[in-house]
Amino acid sequence: MSLLAVRRVMSRRLLLRRAGLGLAAAALVASPALVPPAWAADPANLIESVAAQVIEIVKTKTGADREAAIRQVLRTNFDLPAMGRTALGKHWNDASEAQRTRFLAAVETAEARAYSERFGQYAGQTLTVGKVMARPNGVTVVDSRLNQTSGQPIKLEWEVRNGGQGPLVTDVKVEGVSMVMTRRSDFNSYIQNNGGTVEPLIKELEARAAR
Amino acid sequence: MHRLRRSVVAAVAAVALAGGCSTGDTGAAEVWDPIETPNRFIFSINQAVDIIALRPLAVIYRDWVPEPAQKSVRNVLDNLGEPVTAINEVFQGDPNRAATTMARFLVNSTVGVAGLFDVATRLGLERTKEDAGKTIGVLAKVEPENGGFYLVLPGIGPSNARDATGLMIDYLVDPFRILTFNLAMDWTAYQAARYGMNAIDYRSRTIFALDDLEKNSVDYYAALRSAYTQNRADQIRLRREKTDTKSELERRDNLALVR
Repeated sequence: MSLLAVRRVMSRRLLLRRAGLGLAAAALVASPALVPPAWAADPANLIESVAAQVIEIVKTKTGADREAAIRQVLRTNFDLPAMGRTALGKHWNDASEAQRTRFLAAVETAEARAYSERFGQYAGQTLTVGKVMARPNGVTVVDSRLNQTSGQPIKLEWEVRNGGQGPLVTDVKVEGVSMVMTRRSDFNSYIQNNGGTVEPLIKELEARAAR
Repeated sequence: MHRLRRSVVAAVAAVALAGGCSTGDTGAAEVWDPIETPNRFIFSINQAVDIIALRPLAVIYRDWVPEPAQKSVRNVLDNLGEPVTAINEVFQGDPNRAATTMARFLVNSTVGVAGLFDVATRLGLERTKEDAGKTIGVLAKVEPENGGFYLVLPGIGPSNARDATGLMIDYLVDPFRILTFNLAMDWTAYQAARYGMNAIDYRSRTIFALDDLEKNSVDYYAALRSAYTQNRADQIRLRREKTDTKSELERRDNLALVR
């Protein structure tokens, strides 16, 4: 792709985003009653705020403090129960209420730990939010680029949904690889290789969380 | 059961059968893996080789070889790969992009001293990387998640019927392989150096991602199988996108993830 083409794509993205915002503003003025809550709180703002919070935490906190702070960011900005439910797939229905609660708690710990370790290597990366696409089924896809200090930027896509408590992140895709879908394959395979029930998986996740 | 998941039609049918159930499992996330047992066997051998030899070499390469030297090695390897990329771009129906790739190759091979310096990028000719697996994926009338059966190749790692075929095609059409063969050069040494450096360079760039995936999964084999399939599908979609922007979004709507 030539430089010109890149510039063209970038400006198109900006235009699209502006058009989206303009539309939202127009809708707000015209008929507030018809506006779904997702329009009011811009999903792009959510992603930008998450990125800013995470960078702040990584700069100021380390170790257990960092993990706790990251966990708080995940709790307030991610729809962790929905992510966990999707990751468990069809096995969610087989799980008892107690198992579901234990599973979600273990997954939350695992995610918080994974993210704080991932950001442990932070070296001045920045996040540029690009195109925002609203889907008819209520999901908004926010494109972004993680700019590295050296090398190619990494493509990050965020799926944002509004389940009544304002927009929340329901999935992150890194270079096309969905975190939730990968976990789902992972969990499903583990369950099938361990007797077909969720109990061994929950035990394994709890053991890892306790480590 | 996995067979069901091979086409978008089946996935849509599964959604219809699930009837909007809250955790309706379209199963579209599962990769078709009929030879899982032999695959897992090869996978464990690859893992052993990786732990003993490849990963340590890649770590040494990443941490001890100076950054500019690494960059030059990558530039040379990338430059040797340009003709194959150009051939694939022609078959992907993008002759203009193929011309740009060939221009890159000519500039970098001459002004860039046999590819040591990526002068072309500074001239505004951006680099692309295409392979025959992607070309098949772009041309095939199936969703890009469907690359045929999943396959773990000895020494190479995750692949599938589509990408393994692609690897073979790329190997056969590679002008540099044909050239060394015709000039009766000692091509085993050349090949070993090129593919060996490629492996170390590639591994050094995937250390972080693969360590992360392994540490955060309960079944690394399954997690890598899923991640590989999604990543390849995403690359193919980006190439298809010019003509078909809707496919991925429609697929997303069909996934259980989007309830």
